[in-house]
Amino acid sequence: MNDVTRRGFLGGLAGVAGVAGLAACAGGSTAPASGGGGGQAGTAGQIEFWSNHPGTSKPVEQAIIKKFEAANTGLKVKLVDAGQNYEEVAQKFNAALAGGQLPDVVVASDVTWFNFALNKQITPIDDLLATAKVDTSDYVDALFNDYNFSDKHYALPYARSTPLFYYNKDLWKKAGLEDRGPKDWDEFKAWAPKIKAALGNGQVALEMADGSNYLDWYFQNMAWTFGGGYSKEWTPTFSDPNTIKAGQFLQGLAKDGTVKFNKSPEADFSAGLAACIMQSTGSLGGITKDAKFDVGTAFLPGDGNCPTGGAGVAIPMNISDERKANALKFIAFLTNAENTVTFTQATGYMPVRKSAVDLPAEKAFLEKNPNAKTAIDQLAKTRSQDNARVLLPGGGARIGKGLDQVAQGQDVATVFKGLDQQSQQVFDSQVKSKLPS
Amino acid sequence: MSAPAIVGTIDEPPTAPPSRRERRADQNRSESSSHNRGPLMTTAGYVGMTVALLIVAVPLFWIIITSFKERGDIYVRPAQWWPNPATTENYHDVTTRIPFSNYFRNSLIITGVTSTVKIVLGVISAYALSLLRFPGRGIVFLVVIAALMVPNQITVISNYALVAQLGWRNTYQGIIIPLAGVAFGTFLMRNQFLSLPGEIIEAARLDGAGPLKLLWKVVLPMSWPTLVAFSLITVVNEWNEYLWPFLMSDDERVAPLPVGLTQLQNNDGVTNWGPVMAGTVLAMVPILVLFLVLQRQMIKGLTAGALKG
Repeated sequence: MNDVTRRGFLGGLAGVAGVAGLAACAGGSTAPASGGGGGQAGTAGQIEFWSNHPGTSKPVEQAIIKKFEAANTGLKVKLVDAGQNYEEVAQKFNAALAGGQLPDVVVASDVTWFNFALNKQITPIDDLLATAKVDTSDYVDALFNDYNFSDKHYALPYARSTPLFYYNKDLWKKAGLEDRGPKDWDEFKAWAPKIKAALGNGQVALEMADGSNYLDWYFQNMAWTFGGGYSKEWTPTFSDPNTIKAGQFLQGLAKDGTVKFNKSPEADFSAGLAACIMQSTGSLGGITKDAKFDVGTAFLPGDGNCPTGGAGVAIPMNISDERKANALKFIAFLTNAENTVTFTQATGYMPVRKSAVDLPAEKAFLEKNPNAKTAIDQLAKTRSQDNARVLLPGGGARIGKGLDQVAQGQDVATVFKGLDQQSQQVFDSQVKSKLPS
Repeated sequence: MSAPAIVGTIDEPPTAPPSRRERRADQNRSESSSHNRGPLMTTAGYVGMTVALLIVAVPLFWIIITSFKERGDIYVRPAQWWPNPATTENYHDVTTRIPFSNYFRNSLIITGVTSTVKIVLGVISAYALSLLRFPGRGIVFLVVIAALMVPNQITVISNYALVAQLGWRNTYQGIIIPLAGVAFGTFLMRNQFLSLPGEIIEAARLDGAGPLKLLWKVVLPMSWPTLVAFSLITVVNEWNEYLWPFLMSDDERVAPLPVGLTQLQNNDGVTNWGPVMAGTVLAMVPILVLFLVLQRQMIKGLTAGALKG
């Protein structure tokens, strides 16, 4: 070390520069292949698709893209890894909105799309759909209308899910219950003592995700079943007596130890620690693989009170009309009956087309997977989510935090009144002025 | 270094200078006697060490055994503390389900180049700011420190806009160049250089050492432990860097490992943790190796240097 001369040092520096230079060259050589589609003007025929591959679906997406390219000569689709969840895609898209180089198609979740629509960053697609002669009546109505804002649609449903009631059939049998889910939450409460009696050490009757893991999504079902809800249009209704009743019901379950809150209930359920859980249909494949017992699925308690969720595909506003038209061609193809079947069978999401269930491939699949059929049958009983959760900025997190407080025993009426005020304030300051009058 | 020598001269007759081995034995004896505590304290010490070790080691151990488990054995109760049956399927999964070798190569390139640039820049800028005299030195240093105060989350959007306009999205230079600035290294190394005794630097200058020779032969050897620590921190940081490479990269052509490994996680459903853990283990290995190598260097640095002899 001490023998190094000045010349040696300079040589070292030159070496460093050389490495840097090499790296620059390596980077440069990939630039022509990748940089093309990114420009604001865009390259004709190149469609850049920013996806987080919901449900580890990258291979499926690639297969669908290959089919699309074969059917549309001259159009190429570049699939970009845009993040590991919906929030990261939104973050990357935000960076692109500020810095240029927009994609042609971007995945937007039920809670991220509206903010982009409100700020005119994604484009309404109704005219494009009409020009391309896409039959929108074939999309499942509840799913398609989730992206409706002042009579315009801003996305097509893509990776859509609903919660599902999962139960451990072995424990159900031990408790002497019928092989089905509870009709409503009152019936569940009547069942709870029987389930608890059948539990072993360390097991719990019901597990739900906590407030930072979408409890606000699942609780919507409880609120609706009791006749309440988070909001009516833009008016928050947390203080509605029925919503408060639902909150007190949840608190009661927590107090007598029937329900436990957890970051990932699906893990405990698969390990046999929870008799039943409410979880996304997207977890069906994973739970079936992980669980060492017989898994049963049922509709959520209550009738017609199942919230929808998941993500759609949207097109940015500030790109050329030609790029928009190409992008629409791609998302219509991506969500057509045949491809929605391919995609959902590989992931556990819901087919977004009504005609999908009539395809032979889907019929055969559902016959073999009765649990997947539960999810699809439930689709007819879904209901679009309340604005206070999905359309108000930060809604999900805000409600989740409130529900955490309720679960820990704070007074329901006080917490919900606070949610009312906060939601109203966010609406007044951030949304109201941007709504078309 | 001087304390054991004194002990040695007191213990030994002055006519027979002690051999090196005897001196070391003396040193050990004196150390063990000074650390002589009651058995209770010793036990408490060992218990404390064991607890600390367990806190660090158990999660690590869990990652490693999970990477060898079959999927059905990961979520079970009671927990399995040894994979049974053991399988290397997860490692096979990691290398086939995602282009692992591409991510790995990108990580090596990005970490290697960024760290090298950062270390070189840090050392030479700190050297200039501490030991060379030029007008405006204080101002330059203030500007560098100011840069340290700006969290990089704030600069992300403007950096993105700049790099995107240069057409550098999804390229190595787009990822590396914005990451290569080094306020922290400059700050750390400058303070280290200032703490060196001025007499030695003066003496070296009187002996006719030029600026580079002074840096390379006098200043750096005395600063070796700090430099190694700084390098290690830099390399680990770069290796784990997530936000910026994620925003810049579009696919496996330039994306590094932390971005690539997220592809193994299911983002709306149940993650199969086996391959994720296997990927984590594989991503840890290079850093562990580097740490072991540099640790020896660190100790060498403590004993070598301009003060030797």
